[in-house]
Amino acid sequence: MAVERAPAGTSLIDVLDRVLDKGIVIDAYVRVSLVGIDLVSVEARIVVASVETYLKYAEAIGMTGVASRPLVAPPAQPDLERVMAENVELRRRLEELS
Amino acid sequence: MDRDLTPAPDTGTSYAEAAPADEGKYVYCIIKTPEEREFGPIGIGEDGNVVYTVRFQDLAAVVSDTPIRIYDPTRENVLAHELVNEIVMREFTVIPMSFGTIFRTKEDIVELLKSTYRAFDDVLEKMRDKIEFGLKVLWDREQVIALLEAQDEEIRRLKEEITNNAQSSTYFARMQLGRLIESALEGCANDYVVDIHESLKPVAVASRSNKPIGDRMIMNAAYLVERSREHDFDEAVKALSRKYENLLSFKYTGPWPPYNFVNIKLRLERADA
Repeated sequence: MAVERAPAGTSLIDVLDRVLDKGIVIDAYVRVSLVGIDLVSVEARIVVASVETYLKYAEAIGMTGVASRPLVAPPAQPDLERVMAENVELRRRLEELS
Repeated sequence: MDRDLTPAPDTGTSYAEAAPADEGKYVYCIIKTPEEREFGPIGIGEDGNVVYTVRFQDLAAVVSDTPIRIYDPTRENVLAHELVNEIVMREFTVIPMSFGTIFRTKEDIVELLKSTYRAFDDVLEKMRDKIEFGLKVLWDREQVIALLEAQDEEIRRLKEEITNNAQSSTYFARMQLGRLIESALEGCANDYVVDIHESLKPVAVASRSNKPIGDRMIMNAAYLVERSREHDFDEAVKALSRKYENLLSFKYTGPWPPYNFVNIKLRLERADA
């Protein structure tokens, strides 16, 4: 018997596989690429309205991170900034290596 | 939908104190639309908030109002995120947002759309009228081994030798047989994947292979397909599943927003306020 196509939302694993880290990710470095078609690199500096907003974004990034890994207590604010900066630096180094 | 937001709380307070009272906007995807749209009360969270657009020129973020909070990736939450994307996708080409992204204000979203206008516009153009399908292929190892034994003379010979000399020096023969089967299996999996991929390539725009999950999976791929060729792609997958009946099972899903083909990572910087 031939295979039947299942609608997108039927398997939670398939959904999680996509929504957690694919699509537009607010993250540490800027890059727009379309896998398989061709590669477009875009340098976009996104300036947000205020420090407060930035922190909320940072929190939003933390959200998926914390939620999808073993739960750890969110760091205090100065720590968060330090960790974010470290994250940026590590990603940059990772980029250099790959 | 605009409302006066409470003034930003003192940044010195902890998240726990700052978060609960604030309203933000959960973003599902980016689309192109010349006019405001509403998609019904299908938003993430318990309240079923209305999903609507926040626009900059002809680009729009599809959003719903939400308290600023952490959405755990529970079944309800991820399915809500996915459902909104699916509904919007019926009418629009979407660039999906990854789960859990909340912006504080409408203005921030407009700023994002403004700053990334050309990039988003370009991506939307490239994704226009294209949808993603998922294809996972699993095999029945025992069946494949049986097939190998039937086809491969060397394997058959060794196997006979082992059966005929049950007591004597069959240890090395067994080792050799094991190795032979392993490498034949590997070659076999590779042949199947190549054949499947070559059969689907002509009906797809692009493909991406992800890491297979578990022992039984030999292929975990996503294909980007023109809407107009959806039927052709369907037929191609069905033909493959018939061809490999008994040996391989196909898990075929979609249409999905093009998650696997849009990889946009954005870094946010502070404004020099």
